[in-house]
Amino acid sequence: MDTLFARLVVLESSAALILGLVLLWRRGVPAYVSAFTWQSIVLAATAATVGWFGHHGELYVVAALLVLVKGIAIPRLLGRMERRFATQRELAPYVNTATSLVVAGLLVLFGHAVMRPVVAASELPTRAAMPLAMGLVLVSLFVVVSRKKALTQVVGFLMLENGIALLALLGAYGVPLLVELGVFLDALMGFLVMQIFVYRIQETFETIDVDQLDRLRH
Amino acid sequence: MIFALLLLPGLASALLALVVRPYRAAVGGINAALSLVPVGAAVALWREVLAGRVPVAGPDDVLRADALSTLLAFCVSVVGALAAWLGPGLGDGWNGGQARRFRIFANLFTVTMLFAVTTDNVGFMWVAIEATTITSALLIPLHASKASVEASWKYILIGSVGIALAFAGTVLAYFDFSTLVGRDTAALSWVVLRDVAPALNPRVLELGFVFILIGYGTKAGVAPMHTWLPDAHSEAPAALSAMLSGVLLAVALYAIVRWQTVVRAAVGHGFAENVIGLLGVLSLAIGALSLVAQRNYKRLLAYSSIEHTGLICVGLGLGPLGVFASMLHLLNHSVAKSMMFLLAGRVLLRYRTAEIDGVTGLLRVMPWTGGLFAAGMLAVIGLPPFGMFVSEFALVRAGFAGDRSVTIALVLALLAVGFVGVLAHLNRMLYGPPPSAVSVGERGGWALVPLGACLAALVVLGLAVPPAVHDLLTRIVGIVTP
Amino acid sequence: MESWAIEVAQAALVLGLAPGLVGVVRWLKARLQSRRGAPPWQPYYELRKLFGKEVVVSRNASWLFRLAPYVVFASTAAAACLVPALAVERPLDGVGDLLVVVYLLLLATVFLALAGLDPGSAFGGMGSSREMTVAALAEPTVALAIFALALSAGSTNLGQIVARTLGDPAAALSPGHLLAFAALFIVMLAESGRLPVDNPGTHLELTMIHEAMVLEYSGRYLALIEWAAALKLLLFFALLGNLFVPWGVAVAAEPGALALALASLVVKLAVIAIVVALLETRVAKLRLFRVPELLSVSFVLALLAVTSSFLAR
Repeated sequence: MDTLFARLVVLESSAALILGLVLLWRRGVPAYVSAFTWQSIVLAATAATVGWFGHHGELYVVAALLVLVKGIAIPRLLGRMERRFATQRELAPYVNTATSLVVAGLLVLFGHAVMRPVVAASELPTRAAMPLAMGLVLVSLFVVVSRKKALTQVVGFLMLENGIALLALLGAYGVPLLVELGVFLDALMGFLVMQIFVYRIQETFETIDVDQLDRLRH
Repeated sequence: MIFALLLLPGLASALLALVVRPYRAAVGGINAALSLVPVGAAVALWREVLAGRVPVAGPDDVLRADALSTLLAFCVSVVGALAAWLGPGLGDGWNGGQARRFRIFANLFTVTMLFAVTTDNVGFMWVAIEATTITSALLIPLHASKASVEASWKYILIGSVGIALAFAGTVLAYFDFSTLVGRDTAALSWVVLRDVAPALNPRVLELGFVFILIGYGTKAGVAPMHTWLPDAHSEAPAALSAMLSGVLLAVALYAIVRWQTVVRAAVGHGFAENVIGLLGVLSLAIGALSLVAQRNYKRLLAYSSIEHTGLICVGLGLGPLGVFASMLHLLNHSVAKSMMFLLAGRVLLRYRTAEIDGVTGLLRVMPWTGGLFAAGMLAVIGLPPFGMFVSEFALVRAGFAGDRSVTIALVLALLAVGFVGVLAHLNRMLYGPPPSAVSVGERGGWALVPLGACLAALVVLGLAVPPAVHDLLTRIVGIVTP
Repeated sequence: MESWAIEVAQAALVLGLAPGLVGVVRWLKARLQSRRGAPPWQPYYELRKLFGKEVVVSRNASWLFRLAPYVVFASTAAAACLVPALAVERPLDGVGDLLVVVYLLLLATVFLALAGLDPGSAFGGMGSSREMTVAALAEPTVALAIFALALSAGSTNLGQIVARTLGDPAAALSPGHLLAFAALFIVMLAESGRLPVDNPGTHLELTMIHEAMVLEYSGRYLALIEWAAALKLLLFFALLGNLFVPWGVAVAAEPGALALALASLVVKLAVIAIVVALLETRVAKLRLFRVPELLSVSFVLALLAVTSSFLAR
């Protein structure tokens, strides 16, 4: 039973991590949006898996919320932005694609290294997947710093949040529900504000390339 | 009751500004009046704490104000009141839409900060600090220009990513707790965490603290995560800059101090102190060296904030005496920097430029504003008889007492660099012939009264630390370094 | 004695099936693109015809050029003997492991590239340099993916890897396994010159890799090289099929089990052929500078495979 549980969460976490890597490999916005959508659904599935095997009913609520907010609502808004900015592809990131991918691989290894004491401290069946969640956190962080389009950075940030949510699920079967709700609210509001700014950057700079944001370099 | 008085007036003001459309100056007036209530509540908290009580409220005692919370609540409510009185929307040049937006979000911003410092649950603390990013980011581009859009994008992106990492750290700490005790809502209560900390796994907590320090450090403007700060602080409207620099940094530092206490209890003295101290010296260096090359006086103030954040961090790494100095410095910095940004706003309004080269003859154009600005600058660079001299002096003494002479020598050298840099700039602004396009004469003099009061407070803190403050700080030291 | 018979039968089967597999993929592609296409057995006709034709060799070519086709064919055929296409227990199973298979194939690649350079024609050199770029990038991936498999099986021996997965069916679904599969699949596309890395159906000079190297060959030399290329494709298909989805591979040397193994091998080859045909119909060839990016994707996948097999141990 526990082996199946462990296998399933490792499988789901790997899927989430690989969907995160899509951001480094693909250049078009539609691919980012669908990768994020699928990642959120995988995350919801992980929440449901942990809820089922770990006997935590409230995780079903979290799973449902994940599907609603990150699987449906945010992708819809992202889709609207995508139609507007579809022509602005991530053609020349600060770090080129091949190097980025290798860096991402190294980051995942680094995630394993830093999570060693954490995995050693845990006795949960889910512990083996925790380094993968940390890998996703680090890779998303790398996406945010190495990509130039505001929209890519937003998706990277959303994936960073997914990675942390995954970490919480695997390490402690999720944070307490009330805090989780607050986090959801913040995630949604934060995304909405970022969305406003992406549109505003487009209005004032006529591009969403943040490399053009150079008025304040001293 | 006290907590209701602390948190609800701001919410009421935000709601009022939200429902009254179009905006009317009366809304601002009511807001200004209501903003005094939290100040009173904070003073009441102060009295309670000095009497040895710890007020709590809410289910699971989710609201809890010990001495540390009280100091921060006081700073936030005072600066919030300053912003409410001197911010846009009381019959000045701002249009109705801008004033309405300011009144809604500035109040929410204050409330989220107050909640962050008075909640006992580190999960809610995180939620509230993340919410401060959201509520304040919308205020930076109050008038849309390329520079302000750029500044706010950097602010929200770097701020959100940083704070997300702080959540990762919180999750790791919660993981540590839940492995030890099992899943429990109380796990995120700071009091519970601190009490069980000695039994927690130190390696996990160390990793968590690195994330937490990077995360909250980003919001506190700790180098090397400070890059958003000069942009956001210089592009925001004056009242918001005052809040960002005066108290938001302090709130983020508050979160770090809370976690530092837990980590010290688990890991022992050394790890957290060394990391914080190292980043503190780095921030100090970057802040001080950048001061020299600045050509924009709002950015000058922003870099000075980084410098002072660094100083506070250095102090946090120096044991009980250092914590005392840091907390005193935090109080001084809140008062001084919010005053300075509000004054800078007045200068900007008159000269219509934020370039240092564009401002000459300040003392002749606006004698009172110019005088306060000059005095405030001297206070910021740590000259007597202002409060910052005392706190910096205390910090240096703590350093020598803790046998950190090398660090302290470095700190003093960097402070001297900043000192020279600021003085040169200040000289150029105060004297000389005023530009021909700028009209001479002080206007809107009543606004100078609260700002003058700030300066007076700085002088008082500089001459002798009042007993109430001293007691509060001693209690904070008792909490942070038991 | 019996096991040697199986060994020989398997080698003969692999050699015989290879051109047919290439034909099937071509035919499937044609049908998917609504063309009638040549029948699946067309490559057999081509081979027969090529063996009968005279050989034309450039005056500039050295002995290397004449030697290369034999080395290419021999090393690929040797690799074919090591792959457990039908049965696990074979006398040659102990001779070489997955590493040997991969490096035999690489030996063939190196000789082909040398032969491309030898006559001094412009296209040959270009093809060789591109082939070496691809091979150099694909090699670390292959090594890592093998390492991932070997970690979970405790051996690099092909038969043992297959037996181990047969013994623990859930391991086939483990992330290490799946990731290694994905990584090897991408490498397979690159090494056997399929889309999106190389287009086997064109002689457009700007894009071709494999076709550019063999441009100078004719007659039986060309036949050997084409046959070896087909063999390589089949080897990769069989490796993917039997290493990752080993069900059906005969563990005991009984007629029934062998018949089942043959049937399952054909089914697996057909499934992978359909997938490859679908893929080649859907995707366009990548521009050459995107190829390293694709290979770094597979490298990262293999790296992740290693880390997660390491974790799952």
